[in-house]
Amino acid sequence: MPEVEFTINTETGEMEMKVEGVQGPACADVARLAKELLGEPEREENTPEFYARTQVKGQIKGNR
Amino acid sequence: MSKYLTFTDIIFKNEALLVAALASLGYTEVERGDQLPLYGYMGDQRAERAQLVVRRQHIGPASNDLGFARTNEGYTPIISEYDQRTMMRGQFIARLRASYNERVVEEMQRRLRGTIRREQQGTTLKLKIRY
Repeated sequence: MPEVEFTINTETGEMEMKVEGVQGPACADVARLAKELLGEPEREENTPEFYARTQVKGQIKGNR
Repeated sequence: MSKYLTFTDIIFKNEALLVAALASLGYTEVERGDQLPLYGYMGDQRAERAQLVVRRQHIGPASNDLGFARTNEGYTPIISEYDQRTMMRGQFIARLRASYNERVVEEMQRRLRGTIRREQQGTTLKLKIRY
């Protein structure tokens, strides 16, 4: 089941987001939605699974 | 007199979520407009202008207006040095960022039509959306 995990540091307000179990283009859609509400992340990376086009783990880090 | 600080690296992209985040921290009275002037604690008008303003009466007796200026990237806070130091014991900006981020997660849950699970571990709040 697709899952988006957010980790918020309540002391600094910073947040990390991780997308799991989503196929490539759908993962990009989730990332696009996050960027629409949060702005451009400080860091963004795709894990090897993303390129394998099987289980996808995209990751976005940044507060905004 | 306390000078104003503008945090250009802190951006709140969505106005409605920013207003909701302010409300969650107790600041429910937010004035909206274009180029609204900011006033200091003695009623003196400052040079800074903002599109969203929490007036000092809603913050504290020695506080100055708190503003958010709209930029191409989103809203950036304009807060006096005094209020930055005293609001929520100096934690206001961090708590606003955390609250805004929580509102973002709720909005994403709504748009993805998912369910959300919360888990707090010390200063770390984990939120998981399944859809």
